[in-house]
Amino acid sequence: MIPFKKSLLLPVLAGMIIFSGCSTQGQGASETNNVNAGASTVSGKLSFYTSQPEEDATKLISAFNDQYPDVDVSVFRSGTEEVTAKIQAERQAGKTQADVLLLADAVTFENLKQEDLLLSYKSPELSKIPADLVDPDGMYAGTKVMATVLATNTQKVASPPTSWNVLTGADSKDASIMPSPLYSGAAAYNIGVFSRTDGFGWDFLQQTKDNGISVIKGNGAVMKAVASGEKSYGVVVDYLVAREKAKGSPVELTYPEEGVPIITEPVGIMKDAGNVPAAEAFVDFLLSEEGQQLSAEIGYSPIREGISPPEGLKSVSEMKILSGDPVKLAADREADKQQFIQVFGE
Amino acid sequence: MEKSKTNIISWQAARKGRKPFSAWLGQLRWSRLGALLGGAAVLVFFVYPILKLILLSFQGEHGWTLAHYGEMLQQERFWTTIRNTFYIVAGSTLFALVLGIALAWIVAYTDIRNKSALHMGIMLCFILPSYVLTLSWSSFTGSQGWLAGLLQWIHPDLAPWSMYSLGGIIFVMGIHHFPLVYMFTLDVLRKIPRDLEWAARAGGASRLEVFRKITLPLALPGLTAGGLLVFLASLDNFGIPAFLGTPVNISVLSTLIYEEIIGFGPSAFARGASLSVLLGTVAVVGSLLQWILLRKSHASDTMQPDLTPRYALGRMRKPLTWVIWTGLLLITVVPLSSMISMSLKRAYGLGLTRANMTLDNYRYILFENERVWQSIQNSLVLSLVTMLVCLVIGSGFAYVRVRKPNSFNKMAELATAVPYTLPGIVFALSIILVWMEPIPGWNPGIYGSMSILFIAYICRFLILQIRSSVTSFMQLDSSMEEAARISGAGFWRKWSAVLLPLLLPSMLTGGMLVFLTALTELTVSALLYSSGSQTIGVTIFSFEQAGDTLYSTALSSLIVALMAVGGILLLLVQRWASRKGVKKS
Repeated sequence: MIPFKKSLLLPVLAGMIIFSGCSTQGQGASETNNVNAGASTVSGKLSFYTSQPEEDATKLISAFNDQYPDVDVSVFRSGTEEVTAKIQAERQAGKTQADVLLLADAVTFENLKQEDLLLSYKSPELSKIPADLVDPDGMYAGTKVMATVLATNTQKVASPPTSWNVLTGADSKDASIMPSPLYSGAAAYNIGVFSRTDGFGWDFLQQTKDNGISVIKGNGAVMKAVASGEKSYGVVVDYLVAREKAKGSPVELTYPEEGVPIITEPVGIMKDAGNVPAAEAFVDFLLSEEGQQLSAEIGYSPIREGISPPEGLKSVSEMKILSGDPVKLAADREADKQQFIQVFGE
Repeated sequence: MEKSKTNIISWQAARKGRKPFSAWLGQLRWSRLGALLGGAAVLVFFVYPILKLILLSFQGEHGWTLAHYGEMLQQERFWTTIRNTFYIVAGSTLFALVLGIALAWIVAYTDIRNKSALHMGIMLCFILPSYVLTLSWSSFTGSQGWLAGLLQWIHPDLAPWSMYSLGGIIFVMGIHHFPLVYMFTLDVLRKIPRDLEWAARAGGASRLEVFRKITLPLALPGLTAGGLLVFLASLDNFGIPAFLGTPVNISVLSTLIYEEIIGFGPSAFARGASLSVLLGTVAVVGSLLQWILLRKSHASDTMQPDLTPRYALGRMRKPLTWVIWTGLLLITVVPLSSMISMSLKRAYGLGLTRANMTLDNYRYILFENERVWQSIQNSLVLSLVTMLVCLVIGSGFAYVRVRKPNSFNKMAELATAVPYTLPGIVFALSIILVWMEPIPGWNPGIYGSMSILFIAYICRFLILQIRSSVTSFMQLDSSMEEAARISGAGFWRKWSAVLLPLLLPSMLTGGMLVFLTALTELTVSALLYSSGSQTIGVTIFSFEQAGDTLYSTALSSLIVALMAVGGILLLLVQRWASRKGVKKS
């Protein structure tokens, strides 16, 4: 064997660290690139907190970077409720790290708005977005339309159900699954809406529990359980079902006749954002024609007028909507979560 | 890689080194200053976080209160969690004990072949990060896995039993921890003097009586200590219940604390702290018991392990070998392969046919998702820096501890062991509480950056290096140093020319242990990571939670490949170390 030079070991290790350390720990300083004529003037770091699936966030950022190559976007992804908890923790530690938030529902933003954590920004693109899906004070704006629907495994069930009541019937005994409102913002919104809708209420939720519905963390996990046939029925956001179906999984989506809760996955800018110009550019991009077109390509129902929804999804105007008052739901969100633990907690 | 190698190391290292002959008068002032600084650092980094955690659990709006505990005890969910924790810890400890002791007995006493290969195979279950093992099993027994396919083929109504259950968690945890029992027991069994057994046999006792009256009583303290070790490791484990329990609403104490903190943020800190105090107390009591038992079994420490077989298997040898190897393959290689095959699928709900196979998942995690690269980079940087800092500080401290043992540095060693003794989730919470706002009103922004992970990793893993370095200093006679000094070598010269060349190999083995443990760490980072500072473990965990099983299995498969490379490197270092040792001594 070749004698190993010990004297080289430490310098080499140190070199490795210095080398990789430089690339990971740039201290938030905006690197002023030499802006050539015609390139955007927006640059620097942008911290993006989202509950979108990893893949979609990645696609969104790379499309944004095509337009704004000098912005270096870093992502933090988790369930909406966990992202909110993270922001609270950072706030206590002195400074929130996030610049832009893209979370599941208006209720979450309503809470952040009341805590005075958001910055008002009225994007020029708002003229093409339905006014009732945008905050009047400009604190947040919906970016897409997502209905919560029923997903069915076609290998297990011959004809997909058309009513939410399937979840309390003998058919779905121990065979249905839903996301947890303690993790998913969409699920928290759904619980808020269902528990306040005539004909459903906490009684309905209790019945689904008695019927053996499983509660799993996020929508993605619900989709996985239905696609694999572990469960026959799932309560899940629509685009995941359409996407999984397109990939070739044996799943079908149905919009139940009683109506569907919709969330709009709003975007908002944090009050103490470190890079406001980049954050505003990001919001503009999300709401612009190009950004909305990208949303539709990824598989979401777009919110902007004049852009058609992807294959297999309905547009807002075609849906029957179960709605709730965001301000009221925001005030009760914590209580709803605790009530949910009461009903579903083992 | 969890808590136990170190205990074994420390157990071998608990002998006193000889004091050097000379006096240290000239350095008295310096050493006093060093001791003061070191003492302060130990207090700030190791003692204060734990105190803060305990205090917070008793703090109310106005002064001291037991309200947090009262609230905790009234929650239905808390009692369910306690019950689950008990079943899982007790069940997996028992399972690991049975499996570990049986295998240890076979390897220690019989003439089975290829013992060293068997040894490696058994250790594999333990070396794999718990979440990789978990993913392997959940993909192997899942509805899309190999086992389901096999059962379907036998009979269409057959389905595998779900891993997402108490039984599944107990099973995977037992498999992950049984090598600990095995390692511990192997040594204990080999040190039982065979002449005692012979004497009893000659006196007319039956084999069973010999076992009951001689082997068992002699082995018991060591076995109990091994059992406690597994008990502590199970209590500490976060990965297995987080992957298998959380989706079906089965919480254990460690995952409950995590869910409270992650799901509710700062408003849950006090609740999390009271749960942590409870969990930490159990762990500390367990560690104390273990320590007492180990001291009892020290009596046999002077015995030479006896490596020759005591029982000939005869005609049983072939079938038994066959059974053991098949079993080992079944619990490691087969699930791992199932996981790898899962990562090659186009969509989760599809069967595994040639048409559905793709490398897309790998392409995505390697080339389309920057965060995966970043997490690999973060983990590598974190583990390297942790390893180097621990090498320097840990070895420095170990040197003082061995050459000038006193009650002061004994206390310091105890304090540095605390972060490792406590379950990871408890330690992580205490780190958040301290570094979020180190001094009231001052927020240095440590939380939310990589710094908090560096602090946490170094504090948690320092003891691994200290124990490993203590062992290596123990083996070095102080005459070497004196010879160097007498020949006129200064401090620097003494270290660079005499001590380091002799000690580096075994110190580096400790360093490698720190490196590998840190590389695949999940528990502490799951609570402390933020945007841009995610680690490998956290990334796999996030993929899995989001339902992206194809990505989590792909990344896990990559990590297994990385670890294989690391393991080969480690073996080379060890071989090099042993060659050096032979040459020099």
